[in-house]
This record gives sequence, C-alpha cells and structure tokens, in this order.
Amino acid sequence: MSALLETYDLTVSYGGLHANSNVNIKVEKGKLTGLIGPNGAGKTTFIDAITGFTNVSSGRAEFCGQDLVGSSPAERSRSGLVRTFQSLELFEDLTVWDNLIVMAETTHWWSFLADIIRPRRKVGVEDQAEWALELLGLTDLKDRLTLDLSHGQRKLVSVARGLAARPELLLLDEPAAGLDTVESQQLGSHLREILNRDITLFLIDHDMGLVLSVCDYIYVLDFGKIIAEGTPEEVRKNPEVIKAYLGETAGEIQAQEGAAARQQGGI
Amino acid sequence: MKEALLYSIMGLGAGGFFALMAMGIVTAYKGSGVINFSHGAIAMYVAFQFFYLRNEGIFHFPWFDILPTKTLNLPVRMSLNNGVGINVWFAMLLSMATALLLGAGIHYLVFKPLRNAAPLGKVIGAIGVMTYLLGLASLQFGAIIPNPEAVLFPRGTFKNFLGLGGQVSHESLAFAGLAIVIGAGVWWFYKSSRAGLATRAAAGNEKGAVLLGYSPDRLALYNWMLAAALAGVVGIFSGTITGSLGVGKFTGLIVPALGAALIGGMSSIPLAVAGGLIIGMLQNFTGTWMTSQSWFPTWGQSGIREAVPLIIIVLVLFTRGKSLPVRGNIEEKRLPLAPYPKRVGIYVAVFVPLGFVFAAGLPGDWGWAGLTGPWGFHFSVTLVAAMFGLSMVLLSGYVGQISLVQITLSGIAAFVTARLVSKGGNRSAEFDPFAVEGPGWPWPLASIVGVAVAVIVGMLLAIPALRIRGVQLAVVTIAASISIYTLYFENSELTALQGGSAYIFPAPTFFGVNMGSTSSSGLTDSPRFALFALVVLAGLCVFVANIRRGSSGRRFLAVRANERAAASAGIDVPKTKILAFGLASAIAGVAGIMTAYQIGQTAATSYEYGIGLSALAFLYLGGITSINGAILGGIIAGGGIVAYFGTWHSPGLFNYTAIMGGLGMILTAIIHPAGQASIFQPLVQHLGGWLMKARGTAWLNSLKRYGPFIVLGAIWGVIGINPWRTDDYSRFWMALTGVFLVFFVRSIVVQIRAARAVKAAQDAELKKFLAEMEAAK
Amino acid sequence: MAEALIEVQNLNAGYGGIPVVRGLNIHVNPGEVVALLGPNGAGKTTTLLTISGILKPVSGNINVLGSSTLGERPEKISRRGLAHVAEDRSLFFDLTVQENLRLGLTPDRNKRAEAMESALEMFPALRPLVDRRAGLLSGGEQQMLAMARGLASNPKVLLVDEMSLGLAPIIVERMLPIVREIANSTGTGVLMVEQHVGLALSVADRGYVMAHGELTMEGTAKELQANRALLEASYLGGGH
Repeated sequence: MSALLETYDLTVSYGGLHANSNVNIKVEKGKLTGLIGPNGAGKTTFIDAITGFTNVSSGRAEFCGQDLVGSSPAERSRSGLVRTFQSLELFEDLTVWDNLIVMAETTHWWSFLADIIRPRRKVGVEDQAEWALELLGLTDLKDRLTLDLSHGQRKLVSVARGLAARPELLLLDEPAAGLDTVESQQLGSHLREILNRDITLFLIDHDMGLVLSVCDYIYVLDFGKIIAEGTPEEVRKNPEVIKAYLGETAGEIQAQEGAAARQQGGI
Repeated sequence: MKEALLYSIMGLGAGGFFALMAMGIVTAYKGSGVINFSHGAIAMYVAFQFFYLRNEGIFHFPWFDILPTKTLNLPVRMSLNNGVGINVWFAMLLSMATALLLGAGIHYLVFKPLRNAAPLGKVIGAIGVMTYLLGLASLQFGAIIPNPEAVLFPRGTFKNFLGLGGQVSHESLAFAGLAIVIGAGVWWFYKSSRAGLATRAAAGNEKGAVLLGYSPDRLALYNWMLAAALAGVVGIFSGTITGSLGVGKFTGLIVPALGAALIGGMSSIPLAVAGGLIIGMLQNFTGTWMTSQSWFPTWGQSGIREAVPLIIIVLVLFTRGKSLPVRGNIEEKRLPLAPYPKRVGIYVAVFVPLGFVFAAGLPGDWGWAGLTGPWGFHFSVTLVAAMFGLSMVLLSGYVGQISLVQITLSGIAAFVTARLVSKGGNRSAEFDPFAVEGPGWPWPLASIVGVAVAVIVGMLLAIPALRIRGVQLAVVTIAASISIYTLYFENSELTALQGGSAYIFPAPTFFGVNMGSTSSSGLTDSPRFALFALVVLAGLCVFVANIRRGSSGRRFLAVRANERAAASAGIDVPKTKILAFGLASAIAGVAGIMTAYQIGQTAATSYEYGIGLSALAFLYLGGITSINGAILGGIIAGGGIVAYFGTWHSPGLFNYTAIMGGLGMILTAIIHPAGQASIFQPLVQHLGGWLMKARGTAWLNSLKRYGPFIVLGAIWGVIGINPWRTDDYSRFWMALTGVFLVFFVRSIVVQIRAARAVKAAQDAELKKFLAEMEAAK
Repeated sequence: MAEALIEVQNLNAGYGGIPVVRGLNIHVNPGEVVALLGPNGAGKTTTLLTISGILKPVSGNINVLGSSTLGERPEKISRRGLAHVAEDRSLFFDLTVQENLRLGLTPDRNKRAEAMESALEMFPALRPLVDRRAGLLSGGEQQMLAMARGLASNPKVLLVDEMSLGLAPIIVERMLPIVREIANSTGTGVLMVEQHVGLALSVADRGYVMAHGELTMEGTAKELQANRALLEASYLGGGH
C-alpha cells in the first residue's frame, strides 16, 4: 500500500506557540483516514499546513511522493490535493452548478478571450460536476444560489465542490459540524460511497460517532501532538484518548473527588 | 546643504497641516474603521463657516432647503450681526460647534447605519459625505476666497532663520507647534482616558469591549466628534498656510494626510504627527529645492511634490499592509449579488435600434412636449458615462476591488491617443488643431495603442492590489489618481501642452463619413456621434456580459466571494486580479477616448479624480454590480439624460446635482446597496413580457390596480410639487413626476411587505422544524 | 432558595436562524458554581454567547438577575453585573495588562483601586507584567488576564468559557479553585463551560451535560461523577 500523503515531523508555530508539533501522519490510498481531537488541538491548523494556507515552521509533507514545500494553495489544489472548509466558504453569489464548475475547470491565461466570444461554451468538466451532484443527491439544487440553501444542503455542496475537482485526496474539515444525528449518519454513508470511486478521504471531525463508525484508521491530536493512532476500536479504548476528551483517567477522577470533598468541606 | 535644510523647515507649516488632518483620519478610523475621505471636506466647510462668521456674521446651517415649495422653507443661514463680522472667539466657538454637529451627524446618519456594510459601502458612504459637503459648500459659499487671514498666529517672518540665510514665517512654525500640542492632547486621550482606552480596545476586539459593557456605537460617536473637531481646527487655523480657500481645496490635500496616517499605522497619534511634519518637509524639499537644482530632470518638476505622499503610501502599504489594523466587525455584509446577464442578444436587438431612434430619429429639437436643446449632447454624455461605469462594474462589482484610479486610466488612454493622432508643428493652438507634434497616426490605430498603454498602467497599479485589499486599495488608488494627474496630465513637459490648454481631437471618420460630435452649429450635440457611441457601448456591454457569463466571470466572483476558497479551488488569485485590472483598464481607456471624442478635445480637467468619484457615485446609485446599473448610472450622471430634463425644467437644478448625488449615494449604500437598476430591471422585464401577452381583461385589471395611484400621483404632482415651478411645461411634467414618486413610495411599501412575508415564512418554517424535533423526541 | 441569577427558559439559539441549541432549561443560583459539559459542537459556547446577548435567541427566554434580557444589547446586559470570559479570551492585544484590567473595572469609581488590587492579588503572576502588552503574554498568562479582567468588575454573574483551552493542566488546576473561592466569598454565580470533566466537577456544585444542542444529563457534581459511563458515552458518541 502506497502512502498518498505523508508528513514528517510537521511543526507549525505561531509566535512561540506550537499549534502542531512533530506531527507524523500517513494517509494511504483508497482508505478513509480520520483525525480527531478536542477543541483547539490543532486539527484545522494541520489541514491549513498541508494545503498551504499556513506556513510550516519545520518538518515537511509529501503528496504523491512530491515535496509540498513552496507550492501555493492553488497549485496544490490543481495537483489533486483538495480541501473543504469548516466554515464552508462557498461562493455565495454563484449557483451550485457554477460553484462546482469553478472547482472543476482548468483555465488558461487566454480563457478570457474565449469567454468574450463564447461565454457559455462547454468546458469539458460537466460530467464531473454532474457526477458529484448526483453522488450527494444535489442534482435538483443545481441552479439555486448557494446563499438560498439550508445549512445541511450547503454542507453537502461544499463536499460536492471538493469532489468536482476529482481530487486524489479530499481533506474534509468538520463536514458534520452543525448537522443533526440523522444528517451526519447520511453523510457517513456518502463518504463510504466516495471512497469506492477512487477518491481517498481524510476526515477531521469532532463528532466521534461519525469518525469512529466510518474511518479505517484514526489519529488523535491533543495540544498539537499525535497522542494515539490506530483502528477505531483501538482508539475508542485508548486511555490517552479518553483523557484528552474528558480531562483525566478514571483513576485520577477518584483522587479528584476526594480533593473536591475536602475543599468543599473546608470552606 | 544649508539651503536644503531651510527649504525643509519652510515645509513645516504644511507639515503641521498634514499632521492635524492625519490625526483626524486616524481618530475616525480608530472609532469606526472608516477611512474618512470626507475629512478634508469637513475642514473646508468649517473654514468657510468661520470666514463668513468672522467677516459677515452669517451662520450657515449644514443643510439645504430640501422642501420643494415656495412658501415653506427650511432656514439655511442666519445673520447674527447685520452683516458685520462677529468677535473672533465667538466665531471660533460657533465654528467648532458646527464641526461637532457635523461629526455627530455623520456618525448617526451615515456610518452607524453602515456599521456592518461591506468595505465598498463604507468607502461610498465617505465619498457620499464628501460629495454632499462639496455640493453644499458651492451652493452656500461658492466663491473662492483669495487670501484668508491667519488667526491668532503671529505675523511676520524670521529674516535669517537659524543663520540658514532665508525667511521662515512665524505662522508656519506656530502651526507646526499647534499640531504637536494638539497631538499630545489626543495622544493623552487615547493613552489615559477611559473612553480613549475603550476606543483602542474596541478597535482591537469589538466583542471583548462589548462584553465589558462598552457600547461601540457610543465610542464611535465620540471619535467622530473628535475627528470632526480636529478637522475644525484645521479649517479655522490653516489661514494662509494652504493659500486661497476654495470648495475643493482641502479635499485634494487628503492624500498627504492619508500618507501621514498610514505612517502611524492608522493607530499611532505621535507617529501620524511626525509623519505629517516629515511629509510637509519632504514635499517642500523635493518640490522646491530639488527641482531648482540643475541636475533635476525638467519633466519631473511639476508633480514631484504630489508624488511624495504616493510613494510613502505605496511603501507603507506594501511593507506593512497586512499588519495594519483591520477592524473585525461581529457581522459584515457582503457586496450585493452580481446578476447573471440573461438574454443578452435580445437586449442588444431591442435597445440598440431603440437607441438609434432616440439618437438619430429625433435630432436636434424634439417636436413635442417642448423637448428642445442639445439633446444629442446629453444622450452622448450618458452613453460615455455608462462606458466608464462598465469598467468599475467589472473591477469593483465583479471582483470586489475598490479602485478609484479608473478615471486616470481613461485620461492616460486619451492623452496617448491625442498625442499619436496629432501631426502639427510648433504653431499656435488657436489656428491649428494639431498644435502638438506627433506621428499623425490614423485614429483607430492611435486609439488601440492608447488603450494598450492604459492596460499596461492599470496592470502595474494592480500589483499593490495583490497585497492589500478593501479600503486600503481605495487609498492607494486615489493617491495614484491625484499623483498621475499632476505628474502627467498637468505636466507641460510631458504633454507638450502650454499652461492648461487642451489637445484638440480630430473627429473620427468611417470611410469618409464624419462621426464626430461637433454638429453644424458648432456645438457638441451631433446625433451621429451618439450613434457611434451607442455601438461602442453595446459592444462593451456584450464584452462585460460575456466575461461575466464565462469562466472568467466565475473566477472573478469566486475571488470576490472568498479568496481563501478560491485559492483552494485552484484559482490563481493574483493572476485573476491582474486580469480584472487589465480588462477594466481597457474599458476605462475606451471610455476615456470616447470622452475626448465627445468633448472634441482632451483636457486634464476631464480626468480629474473628482470626476471619477462623481462617476462612481452615480454608478453606485445605479447599481455597481450589474451592467444595467452602469447604464442607469450613465442616465443619471451629471450632464446625462436626467440632467437634460432637469436643467430644462428648473435652470438652477444642476446646482443641486452634487448634493443630491451625495445624499443618493449614502442612502443607496444604507438602504439598497444593489443600486436602483435591480429595481428597474424586473420592472422593465415584466412590462416587456406583459405587453407581449396582455389582453383586454388584463389591461382592465391592472388599470384597477394601478389607476388610483396614477390619478393620485398626477393630482399630487400638480398641486403638491407644482408650486416649485409654475411655468407651462411643469403642468405636464410635474404630474408625471408625481406619478413616479407615488409609484416609488408604493414600491418601497411593497418591498417592505415582501420582506416581512419572507420573514414570517422563515419563522413558520422554524416553528415547524422545532415541532418536528419535539415530535421526534 | 434564593432567586436564580441566571434562568434560561426553553431556549432555542444559534446562528443565522439555524438552532444549535434546542429547548434548553438551566439556572444558576447565587454562590453556586455550575459546570456546562459536553462534547465539542454540543452548543455550550452558543449558550453562553446567547446569555450575554452577543447572539440573539431564536426563541425562549433568558433572565439575568431577575429580569429578561430579550432585546437588550450585550453592553447593557454586561452592565447589570455579568462578566463573560469568552472562549477566545477577547483580550485587547495592543493594550497593556494594566489597561486591559482598567477597562474591566467596576463602574463604581470609589471601588476601582480596590478591585484592581484584589484582581492582581488573585493572580500574582500578572503583577510583574502590568506594563507588558497583552499580545505578548503566554497562553496561560492571557487566560489569567482574561479571568482577572472579568473579576475586576466585581460581577454578580460570571460566565467562563473553556478556561482550560490550550492550557497545561497544572495551570487549570491552579485557576479552578479561584473560581470556587469567588463564588463562596462574594455570592457570585458561576456558569462555566469546561472540557476537563473531572476538574470541572471537582469544583462545581452542579453540572449540565449537553449533546447535539440538547440537555442530556443534569445533576449535582457527585451524581454526575457517579454516572461516569453515561457521561463518557455522550462524549465519545456511543449514545446514538
């Protein structure tokens, strides 16, 4: 199995604060890899670093065996490394269809000359867009402005927009945020379908239920460091993970209880 | 060396002026995040107010008589002392009160409602205030005051200042001192007073300030009043420093002040003061000393003074553009939607022939309803203004770049073209249209080269836009506009034109047919030129529509909506912006050349930044995000079709163009950022569809529906508005105006109702959703 | 029982009309520390922002100090005596520590010097830093400053959002008892959102647990700790 994306001691610091420190992650082709961690653990920073939206302080990342250092976000996107945003960041003035086409089409410096003569020519990527819409059941919304859609629909459009590029690897940043339980389960089944179409996925989410149920392999990030990795079962039972999410382990809790009782009694 | 130092010190007076202006700009920015382009206009208004109080004892109110009646009038001025000047201290007090009133008014009426507007909306708001104040001042004061007196400052000069061998006036040193003293006071205010601290706090983190119980609105009000007071100080004390006092005087001086404010990072008062003083000294050093040296190139002698602040602004924004404070509002609105142009072919097929009928079929005098006068002229002005508007639609409407330099690009294209078509020698302009030497190219070729030069300059100016955005770009572009104006358009070394004269533009010909604007009467009202302009405009409209509909338009809107997401979609954002600047420059260039053909000559004044701002004003009124907006903007532009009807009814009406334009801009920015075109377009579309299909009953139904409004409006027009004008024409036109106004009010009511219905539907949906959630549990 | 300081009744709240919080009922009594728990995205921060008026509730009612806050602007609510230490800390980075504290001080002029002194007493680590710009502080120092600024207004109600976010546990362990002490000594009601369940429950009197915008558990700190398994389920997503 070849690694599609691999990071080597990736570190991102903001003024002395390590948002990511020495993160080593391997995303294998055809697998659904997940990254979880509590609020503020540095998950989005990681995606930003991989896709070029933030500067890497040290370490490096390789995509398809190519070093990513020095290429712009746009170049990375064109090379097949595509992301979605937690805040969606849709093109609100464009229709759903145009949102997808913008992502899918390749343009040249002379494209504007062609636009002047034939603005509505086929750009050769309509199939891709159709496919992405169909996969996520958005075909009916094709001509609507994204502005007018519901939150759940907008979430799906952002995933569809990522798919329309036919990426090698799609990085999903909190796609389930703000969805209710049913919607997030539907999303999970969509993700498995996407995987069957030769698009590798990397999922960041705080909905543990979703991540544990759909991912093949999971990394857990806390304080910018990878504290655990493994299959969903392994991660679920890992005491480090429970500690990261709840604060401390069962043993410590008892000690805390005692302390609390003493303190309350004392005042 | 001694001399260089002396000349620098002589610039201290102007430096103090810039420092005071810069403080005001920083203050307004801290308080509300607005770069106040109207700051100079406030200072100007107070300066006039003070002058008239002091010399004639007349107090002017900062408004005009808006009531359209002869009997009921708003007071606009008050004589305090029977035409004799009042005590200078009292005059000062009243002038400062005026400044405070203006500051509070600007806060409450303009920027409080625009608090969450997109950056473009705020820029428009500031330009609207400026346009209003300039219009108001020319209405109330008008004349230029050649030699305003110095106030309270010592007169006279140091004969041999510090042994440097030259004279330095007491006044300029005192003024610099005043700037430093006031600067110290303002610095203390922000450093130590609770309101000042809270202002700085809210500028950094509005949510934090709110959570601690500080009201951002209240803080903004205080800061606006402080900013206006600082402008008032400039107005009262600038005296002889800035020379004669005219309506437009201080507005142009906003650029060095912006430079100083940027040196202070839009936040530091001491640095802004130092920056102002330094810019004043540098300007005098370069503009007076350097240009007098033998090694200095003669072509650079004019305008080098104005280039100093531009260079500083570009340097500051380029090196620390990203570290400048950008006020993060809790919620910021987006630009209005840029509609997808549908049925472009049909539009062209309908409106071009219709335009032909208007332009050619009814030349000169119209036979009915008294339409007389230079109709062809006004029609052409509208067409050319619409072309210019299209350039801003593409750049600001589609890509969201606030560029105020488009008018300059127009000028560059026109000046280059004019130079290339001329073929004269060193003869006097009076007798020879080709006074300037040139290669004498045919006009189409020269025009293409002219446009190409505009495109190159436009793309060069786009480079700063890659690093900065929003309102900062507006600052750079307005500075560039003013600098290029003096460096090139007014520079006789570069243009080969003598003292303010203009290039003469030969009329364009097609296969020997003269399509020029000059008719047999010698006026620029030939319908033939209107035909020519109509074809060019139609071409440009299709050009812009196709760009919008194609892949470029998708990319433009993607960049406008969200640069991060655009980059993640593989769009090269810098290249896309440069492309947009290039295309917009091309359109602006065409508009500039057409302007020259329309006037018959090319003068610097046609391409002054103020012309560009007023064009932007009318475009914004029309709708900056749509092609229809550009056309509507052209129709209402100064000298356009509406102005034609206006002047014809009420000869003095053009005096009110600036005021109404300014008010209209502000109102549009607040109430309806998409512009008026978005209201008219569906109207026209529906009317078109209806006329094709409607039958007898439909006619009857709509008569029932709209008839009462028409009758009501007509009656109101005759009775209510007519007293304004009592000649025969008005009997007819005022009734129509009344109908129009009634429908306007009705459409607002309908819109409000529709908005309420949408809100109610949303609420119902939400309730349903919640009920379902409840049931699911 | 004394009248509740905060009373949230049947609250639906969220962004852009989309409810993130649904049908929430909670209250905080004087002198009480109440923990609001739950996994990320459960709607805890939204709840606090709605209580302090930054977000408008979609429906439902909130009483702060006995009267409704509906339609009230956030700065007015704050002036009633509510301090909110926000998740992002909302510090003024360009201002010094002292200036930050000054802005937080109580409106009562006579008590300002005293309040400043007691804030610095509670967080002695800030004392040598008073003239440093807040933007230059470390994460822990920033959090202390945010807390000190919140307390400098002598609030009657204190909302604390994710005090432990990005902080080393040792700092959190030092700061939590301060919250407890404030509640005990001044009768301030505290509502805190916290990730560290164990730590939070060690100082809290009562706790609420939210998931997917709804209340899933509530009870005294003891009861919640006893139901550890259920609590973990709602965090790790085994619940649905």
